[in-house]
Amino acid sequence: MNRGRVSRLTLALGLAAVVLSVAALVGLPAPLQALTAAAVLVLLPGQALARLLHVADRALGALLVPVLGFATLTVVSTAMFYLAVWSWQACVVAMSVITVLACLERARQEET
Amino acid sequence: MISVVEPASPTKGRIKSRDILCALAGAVALALAIWAASTVTVPIDSDLGLVAVLPYPFWAGVVLLNLAFVAALRGNAAGPASRPVMIWLIAVLVLMLFGTAIFVTDIPRGEVAFRHLGIADALASTQDINPDIDAYFNWPGFFALLATLLRASGIDPVSVALWAPVVDIGLWLAALGVLMRHLTTDPRRRWLVLWIFCLGNWQDQDYLSPQAFGLFLYLVVIALVIGPLGAKPPKFPGFRPAGLAVWWRGRSPAESRARHRLSALVVTLLLVVVISASHQLTPFMVLIAITALTLTGHVWPSRLPLIAAVVLALWLAYPASAYLDGHPPLADAGLQAATQANIVDRVSGSPGHLLVVQVRMLLTVILWALAIAGALWDWRKKRLDIRVVLLAVTPLLLFPTQSYGGEMLIRVSLFALPFIAMQASSVLLPARGGTRPSFLATGALALCCCLLAVMTVTGRFGNARFDVFTDNELTAVHAVQRLAPPGSAVISAAHPTPWRNEGYLDHRYRTIDDLCKAGLSVATCGPLVYDYARHNPAGGVILLTRSSEASLVVQGDISKQGFDEFEQWLRSQDSVQLVFSNPDARAYRLAPFGVAP
Repeated sequence: MNRGRVSRLTLALGLAAVVLSVAALVGLPAPLQALTAAAVLVLLPGQALARLLHVADRALGALLVPVLGFATLTVVSTAMFYLAVWSWQACVVAMSVITVLACLERARQEET
Repeated sequence: MISVVEPASPTKGRIKSRDILCALAGAVALALAIWAASTVTVPIDSDLGLVAVLPYPFWAGVVLLNLAFVAALRGNAAGPASRPVMIWLIAVLVLMLFGTAIFVTDIPRGEVAFRHLGIADALASTQDINPDIDAYFNWPGFFALLATLLRASGIDPVSVALWAPVVDIGLWLAALGVLMRHLTTDPRRRWLVLWIFCLGNWQDQDYLSPQAFGLFLYLVVIALVIGPLGAKPPKFPGFRPAGLAVWWRGRSPAESRARHRLSALVVTLLLVVVISASHQLTPFMVLIAITALTLTGHVWPSRLPLIAAVVLALWLAYPASAYLDGHPPLADAGLQAATQANIVDRVSGSPGHLLVVQVRMLLTVILWALAIAGALWDWRKKRLDIRVVLLAVTPLLLFPTQSYGGEMLIRVSLFALPFIAMQASSVLLPARGGTRPSFLATGALALCCCLLAVMTVTGRFGNARFDVFTDNELTAVHAVQRLAPPGSAVISAAHPTPWRNEGYLDHRYRTIDDLCKAGLSVATCGPLVYDYARHNPAGGVILLTRSSEASLVVQGDISKQGFDEFEQWLRSQDSVQLVFSNPDARAYRLAPFGVAP
């Protein structure tokens, strides 16, 4: 990663969140839909959020990817249920927005 | 204390023949276990459960795997076998111990996973949370997560429930692996703790459930609290107030970078919120554990317990208030009540079932005895880690607070298990500092591991007679869900029934043993169940399955003859009609009073 430039990983995460969320919403054949949903709902937001934390321990950093993904999705989906606005499509959109926002924040950190 | 030390790995880059042999032994052990388990036919006709019907190649696989692990752990003078080999052996152990039932049948074991699928389905269907339905809707976090994942992925929910134990144990081990990096620098000890954690895990709480999710997050919280949020206390000066104040101020953060500590704190608070929203018991365990660590000076943000307590109190006061109105948390508190519900009431049933219960208790006692011996050993060597002792002992505080449906002791032993395993490893692997264990110590360890593995399979799958379902039983449940009119009462004989995964809100689900607390005799229980079904405006359906009958008989609630008499009596009553039958189940429709059958 070069100082002052946004890293490729940040760009890739943000773009993947947008593309895969569209693919998940449109619908894919059986195994692909499951993989895409897991990526959009858990792994990508988890990775994007974990990268904001600057965790020194690599093992802890890797563990935080699913942890943050599951935890954030739990908060988002539970809040949607309480507000009676839940749909899995809304959760997909919300999680991809969270991923993109986390990537934007990371990009801002990388630029400074 | 906090620093994560990567042990030197002189084998890096070179493949040792010993490593290859150990990995191959693991593969052979797995193949033996899968083949042996796949030859078992359901239903399981033994009160001892799966242990009585698994053929000897399964046990040969168990022994081979433990020998391979111990050989890999012993390694050479430089350390244990390479990381991929150790991970592979642990993965095989997880598949063998926690996936055995998957190779026997493709129906998830136990009733509760089916029920949890039904709650997620009900949430997704209503798109709303009604806390008046039952307790689950007061702690809906895990079910909201599950509903979203199932609907978005399109995966068959029953397959998710089938594989959940393997996935959950994998997540627990991942969290425990990271936690161990902050508690010991000895790689052999780290691997051994993970192994013992698996071998001692008879509690069977790793099915698709909020508590399994909660334990995973609990271990991550502890990893964060001991790791980046940890503190180094100075030498304890005694209990004089002046000395205590100096001691408290003398603490220093284990993580020197404030930004890293802040990140860890944010994640910890997020997890406390998620745990509080997902499970009744786990947030109390989180609160107790971080309070104990904070009070002993091992946590840097000293207000963390207060914040966790506020989050927990707010959840109980608002989203969970509907449930707590009629169920005060300390209603059945007390050591005597807890002992009665958790121990006395559980030691009953057929001789085979009693043996299984005794094996479970003995396994727990052995591990705790090893942990106590390990703690004494460490104390003598002046290397006792008080954090491990606290985390092993504090779950006991939960025991007298509630009977938790007779499951509190199981939950207590599970919360303590990672740290009991850690402390037990001190005596199982007494040599430290990278010293290679002797042949004698290695042999004793291998023997101990094999013994624990046999006991865990016995304890864990000891209810297989009634918690492993047949296709006929599943067909019967589907038929009942189709035949029962909306709003009708669906009554099963006992709880091991694979029901409620669909139409969770469509019927009033009850069991005969829940309706007849005073006893299951025909004279008292028969009319009670009959009247309950017929007084329901939509009538009822009584489902009698092989597994529910076996559950009542094996646990000593009723005799086989008594159960047959009950069914004969039911058949002879007015307005009772047999509407479904197959070799493993019968369903009787009871028309409501005033309506012709």
